[in-house]
Amino acid sequence: MMEGLERYCLDLITNVGDARSSFIQAIGAAKHGDFAGAESLIAAGNESFLKGHKVHGELLQKAAGGELGQISLILIHAEDQLMSAEGFKILANEFIDVYKKIAVLS
Amino acid sequence: MKNILLVCSAGMSTSMLVTKMQESAKEKGIDVMIKAIPQVELNLNLSNADIILLGPQVRFILDQVKASAGKIPVEVIDMTLYGTMNGEKVLMSALEMIGDGK
Repeated sequence: MMEGLERYCLDLITNVGDARSSFIQAIGAAKHGDFAGAESLIAAGNESFLKGHKVHGELLQKAAGGELGQISLILIHAEDQLMSAEGFKILANEFIDVYKKIAVLS
Repeated sequence: MKNILLVCSAGMSTSMLVTKMQESAKEKGIDVMIKAIPQVELNLNLSNADIILLGPQVRFILDQVKASAGKIPVEVIDMTLYGTMNGEKVLMSALEMIGDGK
């Protein structure tokens, strides 16, 4: 059986990792001129990202209650995935805008 | 012996899943090689893989991996199975896919 904290970390990694994948794929879709596809990938990414954030909120509550215990490598990895997903979310939206402008110009 | 290769960004969460899969294989008496590797080491490990499984966090490299994998089947691990580390189901579906491919 998985321990509580490990379970939270994997839930976080799965959801924000899935979101990150969608955001990166959205950039690829926009690059090929598929803006509708890019938008739906962003929407799918946002949905997974929100799920991840909910898990993260629960983790923060555990931390506030002093229930987190020892900081593990998997927790650091989960936090890193979260921030990476957030970064790609911002960048994907910017890239889509840029590719749209290029499409208009060319 | 069948060879299952799991790929994720750092090889960290997939290695936890590998442990669960190995436990399940041992319980069932299935002789199988399961290994987790980070994305950057994929090409070094391709030659003897029977199936490649991607973590949901590297789903975006699916096309790229498929291109370098040739005939080796490549699949993204189901999000729910991954999040709950359901080694048994991931193992069984991987073996099923290998079976179908040969």
